[in-house]
Amino acid sequence: MTEIPKESKTDSRITKRLCEIVGEKNATDMKHIRYAYSYDLSFVKPKLPDYVVMPTSVEQVQGIMKFANQEKISVTPFTAGSNIGGLCIPENGGILLDMKRMDKIIRIDEESHYTIIEPGVSHAKLASALAKYNLRWSWPVGPPSGSVSSNALCHGIGGLSGRYGLNSEEITSMEVVLPTGELVRVGSCAIQEDAWHSCMPLPRVDGLFTGWLGTTGVITKIGVRIHPMPPILKVFTTSTQTLGHMASYLRTLGNYEICDDLTSVSWWLSQVPIPYPYKPKPDDAPEWVSFATTFSWTQKEQEAREEIWKMVVDEEIKKGSSLEETDYPEEALKARTQLPSQIVGSTKNYTKQAGAGISWPGTFTPLNRWEPIYDEWKKILIARNLSPSVRVTNYRGVHYGMLRAMIPFPKKDPEPIENARQAIVECLKVDLDHGGIPYKPPVDFGLEINKRAHPGYVELLKKVKHMLDPNDIMNTGKLAL
Amino acid sequence: MKWNIPSLEELEDVIWKCTACGNCKTAYDFGPPPFYGEICPAGVEYGFDGNMASKGKIAFARGILDGELEWTQDFVDAIYKCTVCGGCQNQCELDHKPFIPEIIEAMRRKAVADGVGPMPTQKVIAQSMRSFDNPYQGPRRVRTDWTRPFKKAKNPIKNIMKKDAPILYYVGCTGAFNLPVRNLPVATASIFQKLGLDFGILGENEICCGSTAMRLGDAEEFKRVAETNLKIFKDLHDNHGVETIITSCAGCYRAIKKDYSLLDEYEDLLDGIQIIHTTDFLFNYFKEGKMKFTKELPWKVTYHDPCHTGRHLISFDIDEDGSKQWKGSYLGKSEDNCLYDIPREMLKAIPGIDFREMERIGSNSYCCGGGGGVMTGYGDWAAKNAGLRIQEGLDTGAEQMISICPFCHYNLNEGSKRIQSNMKLYDLVELIDMAL
Repeated sequence: MTEIPKESKTDSRITKRLCEIVGEKNATDMKHIRYAYSYDLSFVKPKLPDYVVMPTSVEQVQGIMKFANQEKISVTPFTAGSNIGGLCIPENGGILLDMKRMDKIIRIDEESHYTIIEPGVSHAKLASALAKYNLRWSWPVGPPSGSVSSNALCHGIGGLSGRYGLNSEEITSMEVVLPTGELVRVGSCAIQEDAWHSCMPLPRVDGLFTGWLGTTGVITKIGVRIHPMPPILKVFTTSTQTLGHMASYLRTLGNYEICDDLTSVSWWLSQVPIPYPYKPKPDDAPEWVSFATTFSWTQKEQEAREEIWKMVVDEEIKKGSSLEETDYPEEALKARTQLPSQIVGSTKNYTKQAGAGISWPGTFTPLNRWEPIYDEWKKILIARNLSPSVRVTNYRGVHYGMLRAMIPFPKKDPEPIENARQAIVECLKVDLDHGGIPYKPPVDFGLEINKRAHPGYVELLKKVKHMLDPNDIMNTGKLAL
Repeated sequence: MKWNIPSLEELEDVIWKCTACGNCKTAYDFGPPPFYGEICPAGVEYGFDGNMASKGKIAFARGILDGELEWTQDFVDAIYKCTVCGGCQNQCELDHKPFIPEIIEAMRRKAVADGVGPMPTQKVIAQSMRSFDNPYQGPRRVRTDWTRPFKKAKNPIKNIMKKDAPILYYVGCTGAFNLPVRNLPVATASIFQKLGLDFGILGENEICCGSTAMRLGDAEEFKRVAETNLKIFKDLHDNHGVETIITSCAGCYRAIKKDYSLLDEYEDLLDGIQIIHTTDFLFNYFKEGKMKFTKELPWKVTYHDPCHTGRHLISFDIDEDGSKQWKGSYLGKSEDNCLYDIPREMLKAIPGIDFREMERIGSNSYCCGGGGGVMTGYGDWAAKNAGLRIQEGLDTGAEQMISICPFCHYNLNEGSKRIQSNMKLYDLVELIDMAL
């Protein structure tokens, strides 16, 4: 923080029009209200929106977008602002579109296992509602107050990603207000108003809105798959001395596709909170610990899963692995397996010691590149007195994987923020050079991605963006194009 | 006297511990089953992130400290649009957690010191405090009006300044002056008499505890009445045999137990005196079998946890010297002082009571909307919010809502009227008095 946000220039004519659209209580240009949206958890420099608007209906969202498009005012969509990529920081000022008042759970289809929700529905709210039907969603390691739809739209992950993949892969239909104000639908609901069960077999135009960081439209309703909740939870925990050994174990176990979540973290990330500044790992502590979450319907099923797990452990040990069955630190395990988690939600596990700041190089990186990247990340981070608090996770068995480092830092003074930012960007470059791809990237990352991107890809992005948003008003600048 | 009431500047380091994660915006427990509920009355009503929970208030504090936010009428208004209920505080796990209400009130103190706070309607309170020693503009003689039935029944209540007694019943301004809740001191004194307790009141010499002034950021007025009260309490102990001070008011209880403890001489001045809420006091009699309910009340009731006898009494364990984690680290909390179970246990013990629990209870109780100066500053919003709480009570099938705070009682009653419900409001002591 500390760097003062640039002053914005508000126009009372625009405020008046926004008030006409959403009502006086739901639109403002008052600076203290705007200020609260100017920063988030990340290292991204604070920027003030010029207006804040809270629509309560699809028609209001359309009205705002039509007006903004006509006036060429930037619009930054916001649900909870709890991402750590600065995605809701209004790079270009303009309208901050706070969607929290559209928070209805429209339907929970307990037979076909999908739900239709509005963008303001939080993980906490949906978890509470689904529990009544013994159903669940792939809850992320994020604040319970975070938005289900935003997480899914930004390719977020959750506790079921080992089995089902990204939360964006769970989207079944969407209703979207385009930057120009038109209302569109994608998926089955586009063909029959009340059918929200699947995006396929239609052309995957849902891809026009997932992974675009809120730059192509405003989702006003979304359908997502939900899953039954088996009663028996068993978490297998192991440790290794090296990431190579751990990656081998995760790959072998991942092949059997018996886990909902298959994750390993470095010693620093298994601490609650992550040590800040860096402190060396105790000599007798393993460098990597892992948890493998399994849910079973019957005791026999659970025993069969355990049998497979034991077989994998034996197999790895025979290969000469340092793998051991071990206790995962209790509070950290609770934070990652009892989701949505208040421990995680309050960022206690991440930045309680450092205070205020948390950012990441968060990437999708193939499992066989984890170890060399980690070795380089470790050097970069320790050199900057930051903990190498790294997580690796398999998605959909072993099809792809996540590699990320959660980096806490204090925000009272500018130096530690810049130190963390530089370390994170440096780590990101290493990952990109190894073939990894960052997710929920702040603009700093976007610049690095686009530098390396195939020119045809960047041109295609620009064309699609221009087609949907001819005046470049949606979350302007966020794609770093 | 030396007070340790921190300024906003003195709280800057803890203010920078907030990550803006937004965990504070809603109440949530993993369970299982998971629990979710709206927790911030200001967030429910006003919605913008700045208005919502501690995330928003800390943004305001940062803005003041970094010079980005200057006082405007709207900004001052925004810092007073908070019930300081502590609901957001209950969700937080970071090192600033213990200080969240303090940070909000420190902003208000700054506003008052800078001559811009409190809000115009709340200034009436400040003026009343100075003129009448109470926030209700009530003349001293009216303070004892509630005792008339006792006098009439030839069971007058002892004036402790004239006749010694081991127990001081500190009535509080709301019970004494606010007509709709005047049955609270009546019921309390009636129970005490039925139990044969030797107690007295300060009568016309009682002055406000200062809670309202403190909540509004008027630290000077708070200190004035607090110091006077503490001296009176000490004198009562030293010269009139007082060993216990009982209050039925959640605000008074919180002020005497917690706000007064910010004074260096607190322990010395209250040495030998027990401060206790009526509910807690009566529970001891109940447990020991000295208070037996003999009459039946065939009522369907629910219980509303006041913030001041709940979350505000949570004690926080902080690593003061850095020997456990690091200096200033929040280590944990204790709810031992919170009156969550006791009122429920007594309610359930009353013959005929059909107790219904609302969803948001205990440390996740939803504030009635009256605290933090909101009832005075924003009466319409306070009643509207109370209506939401009443509706939650109605959803349980309850026909009466019970509480142990006259402020909540009054405001919830306003809420009940506002939504045109038949929910009746009672203080626990009223039920106990009826059942004895």
